Amino acid sequence: MTHPNPTDEKPWLDIDRKPFIKIRNLTKKFGDVVAVDNISLDIYENELFSLLGGSGCGKSTLLRMLAGFEIPTSGTIEIDGQNMLAVPPHARPTNMMFQSYALFPHMNVAKNVGYGLRRDGLQKAEIDIQVSEILELVQLGGYEKRKPSQLSGGQRQRVALARALIKKPKLLLLDEPLGALDKKLREETQFELINIQETLGVTFIVVTHDQEEAMTLSTRIGVMDIGTIAQIGEPQEVYEFPRTRYVADFIGSVNLFEGRVIKDSPNKLVIESPDAGINIHVPHGVSCSPNQLLWFALRPEKFEISVAKPKNVTNLLKGTVEDIAYLGGQSVYLVRLETGRLVRTVRANRDRGAEAPITWQQDVYLTWARSAGVVLTS
Amino acid sequence: MFFRILSVFGFFFLYAPIAALVFYSFNASKLVTVWGGFSTKWYGELFGDPQILGAAWISLKIAFISASISVVLGTLAALIMVRFGRFKGRTLFSGMITAPLVMPEVITGLSLLMLFISLQGLIGWPVGRGLSTIVIAHSTFGLAFVAVIVQSRLVDMDKDIEEAASDLGARPVRVFFDITLPMILPALVSAWLLAFTLSLDDLVIASFVAGPGASTLPMVIFSKVRLGVSPDINALATIMIGIVGLGIFCATLVMLRKSSREG
Amino acid sequence: MMNWFQRRGRTIIIAIPMLWLLIFFLAPFFVVFKISFAEIARARPPFTPLFSWEESRLLISLSLENYAYLWDDTLYVKAYFSSMKIAFFSTVFALLVGYPMAYVVARSSDRWRNILLMLVVLPFWTSFLLRVYAWIGFLKGNGLINALLLKLGLINEPLIMLQTNFAVYVGIVYTYLPFMILPLYANLTKIDNTLLEAAEDLGASKFVSFMTITLPLSLPGIIAGSTLVFIPAIGEFVIPALLGGPDTLMIGKVLWTEFFNNRDWPVASAVATAMLVLLVLPIMWMRRAAEEEVS
Repeated sequence: MTHPNPTDEKPWLDIDRKPFIKIRNLTKKFGDVVAVDNISLDIYENELFSLLGGSGCGKSTLLRMLAGFEIPTSGTIEIDGQNMLAVPPHARPTNMMFQSYALFPHMNVAKNVGYGLRRDGLQKAEIDIQVSEILELVQLGGYEKRKPSQLSGGQRQRVALARALIKKPKLLLLDEPLGALDKKLREETQFELINIQETLGVTFIVVTHDQEEAMTLSTRIGVMDIGTIAQIGEPQEVYEFPRTRYVADFIGSVNLFEGRVIKDSPNKLVIESPDAGINIHVPHGVSCSPNQLLWFALRPEKFEISVAKPKNVTNLLKGTVEDIAYLGGQSVYLVRLETGRLVRTVRANRDRGAEAPITWQQDVYLTWARSAGVVLTS
Repeated sequence: MFFRILSVFGFFFLYAPIAALVFYSFNASKLVTVWGGFSTKWYGELFGDPQILGAAWISLKIAFISASISVVLGTLAALIMVRFGRFKGRTLFSGMITAPLVMPEVITGLSLLMLFISLQGLIGWPVGRGLSTIVIAHSTFGLAFVAVIVQSRLVDMDKDIEEAASDLGARPVRVFFDITLPMILPALVSAWLLAFTLSLDDLVIASFVAGPGASTLPMVIFSKVRLGVSPDINALATIMIGIVGLGIFCATLVMLRKSSREG
Repeated sequence: MMNWFQRRGRTIIIAIPMLWLLIFFLAPFFVVFKISFAEIARARPPFTPLFSWEESRLLISLSLENYAYLWDDTLYVKAYFSSMKIAFFSTVFALLVGYPMAYVVARSSDRWRNILLMLVVLPFWTSFLLRVYAWIGFLKGNGLINALLLKLGLINEPLIMLQTNFAVYVGIVYTYLPFMILPLYANLTKIDNTLLEAAEDLGASKFVSFMTITLPLSLPGIIAGSTLVFIPAIGEFVIPALLGGPDTLMIGKVLWTEFFNNRDWPVASAVATAMLVLLVLPIMWMRRAAEEEVS
């Protein structure tokens, strides 16, 4: 047995690997509004790729262009080496799961799920077998004769998924697949979706505005911002190493300190930040012009919060607790620095009844490991 | 409360004349002020009148054919307006489907007649006027009403559902017959009924475009009632009210049963 | 980027209703417009041709006489203003009768609402002509209303109601009432009941909350209903013909008489053209403006 090649798991790291979906310079304009602005993107076979962004960022338009419902203003889309531009939706090797599910209200579950196979001209017996197989897979065996109006939200979601999957598309497009479910059901379904994707080996592209959902599901995430892709990366990469302030802020919450470079060497960077009131030390350099304006981004959970003044630390902030939110598993502390900046910190509630209770209006110290933050230049 | 009293008067105003018609259709006396005892003789007279029966048959034929043409053309027009996006002449097209709704009947009738006469002079068609010219006229204004009803249904309908079908491999025509048509069917039925009723009801346009041979039911009624009250028309009105009432009653029953089954 | 087949299918689908409407809706107006410049003649059809060949030269004879006649003979101008007046007041009366009804229907319980709504719509499905006819028996000299009033001793001799403008108003309000009620009802049911509760909570009486909340919010319904009554009422023929008298002037009736009784096709065409320009085009322009405002 050979050792698994790491690029089998992560094909995007292999330069020689051919992408399954090749999007080049794709642009879509609606009148004067540019919905998708010159996007190029590669997606590999068996990926579960998420397009993450706020409303109006162009993620749904991009998905609809892949399905063939929107015609690109310019640019190309290739799926499995085949140019898709002249191919109408009904002839594309893609299927879509709609945000509204778009179940046919006048057909029962079996008719809905089997619709795509009937269009392919399969025999009725064959269709029946495949329908009951796929309904088993989404745990809806026995629901064949129900009408969509007689199903719960979660069941409708499964029917929509089964209907889109039954044709074994090369590419499954999912538009906010879990958006209409309540929180608890959404979390359960996320893992189910991953299981199904791994079982069938279909490439998924998921559009979502929910960053938690994107983090849980995806092999990679494309964070979109007004028609462009701000960053592509694995969930951890996007979270820990955001490339821009937009990405840092969109995924999770972040404290941003504005400042200027006063020292920049290969293994040391010092930022003078009037925002924080101190000089921030970072253990690596950034290649930038001296005195350049940049931002130091720090996630709330990276802070060490303490009442006693810690010793031997380079980065130390002092402030007053202004607000505390108890969230069960963790507590959020809003700390007002001496500079007037409000900082958000998070601490896990490890013991019942905190060991050294921190209360309102208490003076506290905040520190962080030198490599805990990210320096952003844009 | 004040409004409630007013609306009782309103409903009385709406139904008193209809009730009176029904009542007097069974009056043996010809005078509305005299009750001559219960009688069905006006019904006998009505069914013995070949002119009225013939006109009713013509009207029903015209209404049936023109309502069917209206539904086909009006549904196409609605689809084009709602689903086809931009095309050359869209403004003209949308103007032509809404204009018949506000066009006075006398103008529509006169201008269509002028067209038919000019066409006959130019290309020899239509030869004379009668059933076919009335059908064309009624189909044209029926088209506008159908288009309005179907358009509003199509706008309400989720476009996702049609897209889902085409995503699953259905060609555009297939999508229409598998998805769109079944979903707008109730709207088509009510649009057909409306076009049928409008055609059956039309006096003015038919008077212009009908030749000397073809007289529709409204034309016969009009020439009769112009001279005053005629009791056999009361009987005819009662029959029509009965049919409409029965139809609405059945439709309500079907709707109630449907909603109780779904709810 | 659609392929050839799809594009051709699309063109064919557009062409079918488009051609139908061009031929049977738009073209007739041009024919009428053309005939309005002809002169009456003892011929079949009874008007002079506009274009004729004489000694291999094209002769075009345009006569503006019909339009001059419309302007000179005060009958047509009077009929135009009289139609507008009758349509306007009928609309006001229909609103006064229809508003309380729509309000009561909209505010009644679910079960009653469907029944009342059906009662509003039902007369609409019965023959328009017969509903107008029903009023003859009510309004005529020896009709039901007079008989009732005489019996009660309120009047000594029958009132003359049939063949007056009064009868025309009654007829229009009666037949067009559903058109007023339905849009009003649709609008009134949309008004959130909590708005009225909020107004009352803030100290408004039932009357004040109606005047300050319901009425202003139902304005779109009032406009929609009024348009649906006003526009067809202007061109109405059946009602003035059956219920109105010889001095009831309405433009639809004038055109009918010109065509069927006087057999003057060119003048009838000129009346129709003038009616189109003075009534229909402004209405269409108004609708367009209203639609643009909405979107």
